Amino acid sequence: MKTIETEVIIIGGGATGCGVLRDCTLRGIKAVLIEKNDIASGTTGRNHGLLHSGARYAVKDLESATECIQENRILKKIAWHCIEPTGGLFVTLPEDDPTYHNRLLEACKFAGIDAKEISVKKALEIEPNLNPNILSAIWVPDGTIDPFRLASANILDSVERGAFVFTHTEVERIMLKQNQVAGVQCYDKVAKEYFEVYAPIIVNASGVWGQHLCSTAGIELKMFPSKGSMVIIDYRINNVVVNRCRVPSDGDIIVPGDTVSLIGTTSRKIPYDKIEELVVDDDEIDVLLADGEKLIPNVSKARVLRAYCGVRPLVAVSGEMDGREISRGVVLIDHKERDNVQGLITIAGGKLMTYRLMAQMTTDLVAKRLENKNRCLTHKIPLPGSEKRVGYTKKIKYFSGIPNSVVGSTHYRHGERVHNILSLQKRNYGLICECEMVTLGEVEYAIKNLKVKDLVDLRRRTRIGMGPCQGELCAYRAAGLFTEFGEFTPDTSTKLLKDFLEERFKGMKPVLWGDGLREFEFTYWIYQGLFGLGLVEEEQ
Amino acid sequence: MKFDCIIIGGGISGLTAGIRCVKEGMHTAIISSGMSALHFSSGSIDVLGYLNNKVVYKPFEAIDTLTGTIAQHPYTKCGKPLIIEALQFFKQECETQNLYLYDNENINHFHVTALGTLKPTYFSQRSVFNEDVYNRFKKMKKIVIVNFEGYRDFHPQLAASQLKKQALFANCQIVAKSIEMPRLQDLTKHPHEFRSIDIARIFEDKENVYTIADAIRLAAEGADFVVIPAFMGIHNFNEIHNVMQSRTRLLIYEVPTLPPSILGLRIDNALKSRFAQLGGVYIAGDKVVRADYTNDVVQAVYTANHPENPLEAKFYILSTGSFFSGGMVSEFNNMYEPVFKLKLHYEPERSKWYSPQFFYSNSHPFLEYGVVTDENLRPYDSKDNIIQNVYCSGAILAHYNPIREGCGSGVAIGTAYKAANQIVSLYKLMR
Amino acid sequence: MIKLENISFDHCIKCTVCTIYCPVARVTHLYPGPKQSGPDTERLRIKNPELLDISLKYCSNCKRCEIACPSDVKIADIIQTAKWRYSKKEFRIRDFLLSRTDLMGTFGTMFSPIVNFFTHLGIVKFFLDFIFQIPKGRTFPNYASTTFKKWFKEKRKYQNKYLDKIVYFHGCYVNYNYPQLGKDVVKVLNALGKGVIITKEKCCGVPLIANGYIKKAQKHGRHNIRVLSKALPHEQAKIVSASSSCSLALKHEYPNLLELDNSPIANNIAYITQYVLEEFEKGNIPQLKALNYTVAYHSPCHLERMGNVAFTIELLRKIPGLTLKILHSECCGISGTYGFKNEYYAISLAVGSELFKIIEEAKPDFVVTDCETCKWQIEMNTKYKVVHPISLLAEALE
Repeated sequence: MKTIETEVIIIGGGATGCGVLRDCTLRGIKAVLIEKNDIASGTTGRNHGLLHSGARYAVKDLESATECIQENRILKKIAWHCIEPTGGLFVTLPEDDPTYHNRLLEACKFAGIDAKEISVKKALEIEPNLNPNILSAIWVPDGTIDPFRLASANILDSVERGAFVFTHTEVERIMLKQNQVAGVQCYDKVAKEYFEVYAPIIVNASGVWGQHLCSTAGIELKMFPSKGSMVIIDYRINNVVVNRCRVPSDGDIIVPGDTVSLIGTTSRKIPYDKIEELVVDDDEIDVLLADGEKLIPNVSKARVLRAYCGVRPLVAVSGEMDGREISRGVVLIDHKERDNVQGLITIAGGKLMTYRLMAQMTTDLVAKRLENKNRCLTHKIPLPGSEKRVGYTKKIKYFSGIPNSVVGSTHYRHGERVHNILSLQKRNYGLICECEMVTLGEVEYAIKNLKVKDLVDLRRRTRIGMGPCQGELCAYRAAGLFTEFGEFTPDTSTKLLKDFLEERFKGMKPVLWGDGLREFEFTYWIYQGLFGLGLVEEEQ
Repeated sequence: MKFDCIIIGGGISGLTAGIRCVKEGMHTAIISSGMSALHFSSGSIDVLGYLNNKVVYKPFEAIDTLTGTIAQHPYTKCGKPLIIEALQFFKQECETQNLYLYDNENINHFHVTALGTLKPTYFSQRSVFNEDVYNRFKKMKKIVIVNFEGYRDFHPQLAASQLKKQALFANCQIVAKSIEMPRLQDLTKHPHEFRSIDIARIFEDKENVYTIADAIRLAAEGADFVVIPAFMGIHNFNEIHNVMQSRTRLLIYEVPTLPPSILGLRIDNALKSRFAQLGGVYIAGDKVVRADYTNDVVQAVYTANHPENPLEAKFYILSTGSFFSGGMVSEFNNMYEPVFKLKLHYEPERSKWYSPQFFYSNSHPFLEYGVVTDENLRPYDSKDNIIQNVYCSGAILAHYNPIREGCGSGVAIGTAYKAANQIVSLYKLMR
Repeated sequence: MIKLENISFDHCIKCTVCTIYCPVARVTHLYPGPKQSGPDTERLRIKNPELLDISLKYCSNCKRCEIACPSDVKIADIIQTAKWRYSKKEFRIRDFLLSRTDLMGTFGTMFSPIVNFFTHLGIVKFFLDFIFQIPKGRTFPNYASTTFKKWFKEKRKYQNKYLDKIVYFHGCYVNYNYPQLGKDVVKVLNALGKGVIITKEKCCGVPLIANGYIKKAQKHGRHNIRVLSKALPHEQAKIVSASSSCSLALKHEYPNLLELDNSPIANNIAYITQYVLEEFEKGNIPQLKALNYTVAYHSPCHLERMGNVAFTIELLRKIPGLTLKILHSECCGISGTYGFKNEYYAISLAVGSELFKIIEEAKPDFVVTDCETCKWQIEMNTKYKVVHPISLLAEALE
């Protein structure tokens, strides 16, 4: 059985885990990250992509708000290609409490968030599709952030600097030697083999799955999962983030993200044993669409592309067992103090925006334990893709010969790394995904460099299948490329195609009406009617 | 304008009915709101491919079983003799436009798909099934599956790998190849979309056919059979196929691709030109938005382009297709038929419309939803009254699943023929 | 961010049917096709207008993609709107002049003998090609010596003897190039017992839209809506046009593309053959003499889009003695001012080549079509003369 020795094992490839990996690597600490599915496939990937200004929390949770605005500024520098600094609005509707508006302004001032009151007329100029009946508006420095790109960039940087990453690998148990961690036993689901990794420090960054993970080391870590559902509109109905100016509740935000808009979110408590069987309920879709329409009237006419849900990993800190005083803040547990297990650290809670800060806190603790005196550099060194800040116009000119829409889309996704992807060689810029302008070159780059094991991973790195066709035209095209560029057999490629369509279907099911139903019928006709993909048997 | 018969929906079903009516001297119009599902089809005619999720080898015998057990199935309403007559009619009408359809004498044959699976079907075009193909299938030693460099919609290695697993090809060597063509390189230099239709147009030029044939012969190296994606021309496909085969001295087989389907396009062209040749009026790109009825008889229909000018006929056929063609409309929690607001068979609860997985073995319930009709294919209005002069045909009908049963085109043709027959008899009586 | 209204691109289910029927994509690979130029990239342009691809300029607005689309996506409208909304505004004198048909027409008719002489001269054509990029191969239509408006002024009093009146939107072609067609329309309408009213109309705006002068097109549109609705003798009265493109503009482009409220006239507009056919079907059919010609009918793209081809064909069938060959529907390639520009000239001819071939194969006495620019293209590229269906009908009325 294969064994690996390292200094830190990080379990969990969400934003936090990826951030810790990078921070460790930049400080010269040898680290290995193990993720049971794909990078950013857990809560991070189900995020609504809001780059908080912090205003949302200013009224109730000042500490969170302050952290948010600081990180907001840092991320805009080091991860600009993962971010769109759209700006945001907080709008008060006729039925809302008009006093909240001033409370928000006050709280933002206190937290150092640059919020400005603007006239309704100005708000409508900034966002012409806004409900014209709003009573007041506040401008905030919100933005949008792509969680997949962010996590992937952290991984790419770490791997390029010598770290190791294992995806589609599940940690079966944490191995202990008396009360000290020894390592982990893992199962590689693709290669179908076990292996062990030894290290004196293990960081549990596995989010909501931490409860199960810690139990393998005999530790109780109670999680109170909360389901949040979101609905995606198939095109960008708003260009700035639109927030409802009221006490945070269901359906009070519409976030533009690349070519789509996202209406979020809900909050439903679910039992721990149901975290792998989440479904979006009809009443959640109802409330999201109804409330979304109040902010942007076009919602009622737009096509709903998908609906999905994620789990918020709310953690109880030292002894809280009943879920009432759980904070959404950051939780850093040194299990030596809490459970007498040396070398195990848990980092949980928080939000996507503050991942870097959370990673810093964790790595500070890890470095202390390893007596590493290096300082954190993650706020200074830009992520791969964000090295140089060059706008579209220059890039389009550089790649003239390739259509603007293709260059622009690739640059939007990969920043400076676009130079590793696009070339003026004809075959390279042929389109695989026509909805999102993903070229053959980009698919090749992702398969070869970005730890892509299946079409679902590919979708996270490139946006294939995330547009209106949901894989109808691109899934088959991309599947064949796995055989060409990866080391996948044709049979595996065919199986990956089938799996991808199943995954896309999961998000289409809850909203299967209107054009979505037509799209699905058409896709089903092609893949089952014309191709007979359902007839292809699974390998034993 | 006044007609004897107006057919709403110009796909395979509407066109079959239209040809039948116009042949009998009826002044017939077809109104079609966009191009039909033939453009994505396999180009073969499926009569009955599966019954109870098992492959059907003898479709007419299986139809007997089906008509004996499922009262509401459109085939039951047609009856086997009429289905056979309808299919013969369809085949003959296509032949008038030089589109020949081949079958294996009451037995289904299998066509190869782009993924290398085999699907049962009844009529296929010459490049997909004919006597030569049938005879050679069993004795094959080597098959070469060829793609053209730059065409993204076909992966020969995937097809080769699946095909090898079929019992029929157990002793056959199957190789995947890609050929480069100078003319195609030129085309892919420009950043445009490159689909089957672009390559099919290249084949329409004789010079290119010779170059391609030579490249294929080189790549084939001793194969019995060459499988290529369906590109061999849109209009002159017979000639092109002949030239390709004679020049390569190999059997060339076409596989239907991701849309647009050239095989399907050939059928669409043949049916449309036959209909026009017989004097039928085809109104393209217009949508019927409402109808005038008095006492369960439709007087006129109005379209999006002519909202105030009635199009009148004595008889109407509704062959508007399924959801993607707009024949039925679904909303957040209901469905309806947009032209006549007919009574539908469907589950009001949306979560019942689909199955838990994409490739669920029993397919998806919404494919069986549609208009409820009497045994003569006449529909009911929302108050359960039969609409006397309207007949329904094709995918708009309820109680069958064209994909799970492999009977889409068979039902379209059979029901169109039945609907048209009735209209023709009534029309003759009126004269 | 623009205000998003009348969104139809999100109905697109990526079926690719439009790409089969686009005549421009068929002949050149410089144009990525209607699907990519329209619904696909519109989503990206909303996100960032810099993502505009200049290749969409090759779209000729024939609207065959919309005819083919099963999902009600207004593909051609999306592309035209994207062209003027997102591209850089450059002034080109050629485009300015080609789109100002009233201006050019007034000047052309005033000096018609000189203008007609010069536009046929080889050296002038060479100069136009070199300086303005107007292809020297292109034949310019002649200007008439008097405008239709002037001719009608004298006939106006005769129209008063008819109780029923029809408003006639004559368009620029009839007014400045070929008043005979207008005279034929008046003759046919009078034979039906209808009097004709004309207004102080301006160019319908189609060439202005095609060249990006949206504000001016809107101005013309508002003016036309106003004068036409004022001229209506009663609410149900008809406004007819004998130009397929003018009818399309008044009925569809005004509300869909120019965002004008044409409700005062929307239900009154009828393309002439539809109106005449409906009168015939009501029993109001005058005596027609037999015309023993063999004609080939070509259906213009904009007429197909309006769903009026069936009416023209049905009307032609009512003319006794006529042998009618209906040509397979193909775009002629000129697409209005598109075919008058060097950068699209080769494409224009390539698109039409299929049509020219089938005309030659049909060997008719002459060709019949409803669109004036199709007439110019066909006469230039085949040996056949082209006649409007109404002119044929007028001849049968003698």
